[in-house]
Amino acid sequence: MNLKDILTPFTAWSRVVKDPVTIKDPLSREGAPRYRGFHDNDVETCIGCGTCEAICENEAIDLVPVEGIETKDGDSGLRPKIDYGRCCWCALCVDICTTNSLRLTNEFKWVDTDPDNFRFIPGVDEKDWYKKEEGWRKPEPNYHFYPQERVKMEELGPEERGDSFIEFVKGYSKEQAQQEADRCVECGICIGTCPAHMGIPEYIKAVRNDDMEEGLKILYETNPLPEICGRICTHKCETVCSVGVNGDPLSIRWLKRYIADQVPAEQYHEILDTKKIYKDDKKVAIIGAGPAGLSAAYYLSLLGHNVTIFEKLDKPGGMMRYGIPEYRLPYDQIDKDVNYILSLGVELKTNTTVDEEMFKKLQKDYDAVFVSTGLHLGRSTRIPGSDHEHVFQSIDLLRKITAGEEIMVPEKIVVIGGGNVAMDITRSLARLQRAKYGKVQIITTSLESEEEMPADREEVVEAREEGATIDPGWGPKEIEIVDGKIKGLHVVKVLSVFDEDHRFNPKFDENQKKFFEGDMIVESIGQAPDLSYIPKEIDEQLERGPRGRYLISEYNQTSVEWLFAGGDIVVGPDVIHGIADGHKAAVGIDNYLNSKK
Amino acid sequence: MNEILDKIKQKYNAEDVTVQRERLAFVTVAKDLAIDAVTWLRDYEGFSHFVMMSCVDWMEEGKFQLLYLLHNPDTKIDIGVKTYIDRENPVMESAHHLWKQIWTYQRELHEAFGIDFPGSPRVDENFVLEGWDDIPHMRREFNTKEYSEKTYFPRPGRKTYDPATYMQEKLYPNQPVTAKRKDNDK
Repeated sequence: MNLKDILTPFTAWSRVVKDPVTIKDPLSREGAPRYRGFHDNDVETCIGCGTCEAICENEAIDLVPVEGIETKDGDSGLRPKIDYGRCCWCALCVDICTTNSLRLTNEFKWVDTDPDNFRFIPGVDEKDWYKKEEGWRKPEPNYHFYPQERVKMEELGPEERGDSFIEFVKGYSKEQAQQEADRCVECGICIGTCPAHMGIPEYIKAVRNDDMEEGLKILYETNPLPEICGRICTHKCETVCSVGVNGDPLSIRWLKRYIADQVPAEQYHEILDTKKIYKDDKKVAIIGAGPAGLSAAYYLSLLGHNVTIFEKLDKPGGMMRYGIPEYRLPYDQIDKDVNYILSLGVELKTNTTVDEEMFKKLQKDYDAVFVSTGLHLGRSTRIPGSDHEHVFQSIDLLRKITAGEEIMVPEKIVVIGGGNVAMDITRSLARLQRAKYGKVQIITTSLESEEEMPADREEVVEAREEGATIDPGWGPKEIEIVDGKIKGLHVVKVLSVFDEDHRFNPKFDENQKKFFEGDMIVESIGQAPDLSYIPKEIDEQLERGPRGRYLISEYNQTSVEWLFAGGDIVVGPDVIHGIADGHKAAVGIDNYLNSKK
Repeated sequence: MNEILDKIKQKYNAEDVTVQRERLAFVTVAKDLAIDAVTWLRDYEGFSHFVMMSCVDWMEEGKFQLLYLLHNPDTKIDIGVKTYIDRENPVMESAHHLWKQIWTYQRELHEAFGIDFPGSPRVDENFVLEGWDDIPHMRREFNTKEYSEKTYFPRPGRKTYDPATYMQEKLYPNQPVTAKRKDNDK
């Protein structure tokens, strides 16, 4: 060691009084217009799908709850938080962003002495650079990591399908299904919105990987009627799909159908591992073989209980068979789903109407009872003339068509109603008219305007393609009857259907009138339950909630502990809610039976 | 512009001629002719300025695409000469004798993609990644995330939530969560 080594450290002290060499921002140079600097996020547009996090190669992004942003359908309530210790400014997060809410500003300078400040939630934590418009955004148009348009589903044209009840949606091929599945970003925003909370991203992944066994397993975890749901589900999931924010949502429903269609019924027991199920001594009675009853029966038998379903009609399926026309849901597909459920040891008693007396017997003979009898009574408009014998309820006609009974099909028909059932009867009658007369003369009118009609958009479009006239926005006034024969329906213009409080309270303009000619009128304005089989003394013990429906626990237990209720009589009405209800009730009944031991 | 493109097509059998904008065009030339074409552009056509050199990894096709971007200061025209080399055995004739700065570009490409340029001075030396012990980091099979996970320590206090499970817990607190959980502490 020489003298220099000893003295050098002290020479550094001479710099104490000098100006610092490192200073904040020596040049104040602006970033280029497309420079990739610090993030900004439009948190109002962002839905917290987490695709930015998933694509980040450096794991720089976390999704975190933000105060004031609520979790709701289509929005997780989470927002991305960036760790700038890891961000490499590649902007993949911006390029994949499903809502185009995320961007990079061109601000690149930020000096801070606390490293923890370099983690922040863009758009939530206040930063100076949000006012900068320049920076990197997803280049538009035509710059997408996934196709914006869904793979088109092939269908029979209106000409081919117009006079037959053959299924007109053809289903995806393997290539089409995989191509469609490839658009999924696997965010899972859809799961919460699906009433049955199906593992949607997972089964879509199974389609992508061409693993149908895995796909079927995932479907049956939450839904034992996939052939049916794959065709007629109201697909609430698709309304919240993050890919649908800018583009077409995934065809979730058709992908579900694709999986179920690929697996032959004979392989179900093997794949779903249900060759042998051990049964206990508990007995559960289910009234009604619709979606809720069948779903409950499936999960209860997997849990080892003995299930008997009582069904009033000839065949199982409820509204799925007797409400939904065959061209949307072929009967052999219903049978495929239902027969598998029955094959698990579920006893089905068809043509068995449960009345008060029988209900009391069920209470005595079974450990628990699940009622899922649905809404099978049509509601009437009660306008003058509606008691004429040629005024029908849509639900009665649909049931007769399924049962193969002859129904009246005159040359001119008027349908009142704007929901899916109204479209079902319109399209069924149009087919029968075309087969009988070679032409369609059916007018369907609803109180609701074109935009407010509760029917699925595609149903309205397809009904028109098939020759029906849909003329919404009219209130039925009177059915004109001359010499005992129906001449048609007088209507007046509807100004509004709902009042300021969103309550049903239609307002009419009596001066604007119209007359729809018709030899028969079909009413399709809603259905009601028939619960007359529930004995009075039990009915009195049952608490009721809003709209007179039975009040149930989260596991569908009524205030009478052995009695569970589900399906359209408590929620919905639709199939998927019924399926979810059946599943929940099965868990509830299982808990109840176990607690009794 | 068209004149020079016609010549290069004729002389070097250039393919895939793309006029990007008024004074910028790209041509693709076979590997054996690429340095010839660059030399010819420099010595006979006035492209005296070498702008830069880069590489694209076409992993699926088993190729690397090299690009030599040249500039003519008189006509203000830029021409990019592209060529493909084999990805399995990535060796390219060196162009360091044309412009001295090509040394550095070739050294960088050697480090980033593993391309060898025999004869290029100091081509084997580290460029920016001192002590790098993995496959060349710009090759597309290099897994950045995996590398950062095994190389860097996790930052304390980070937590992320999976949107699907979080939504089910929030919206249906009394029901079992069906979504597959992706939550984790990082």
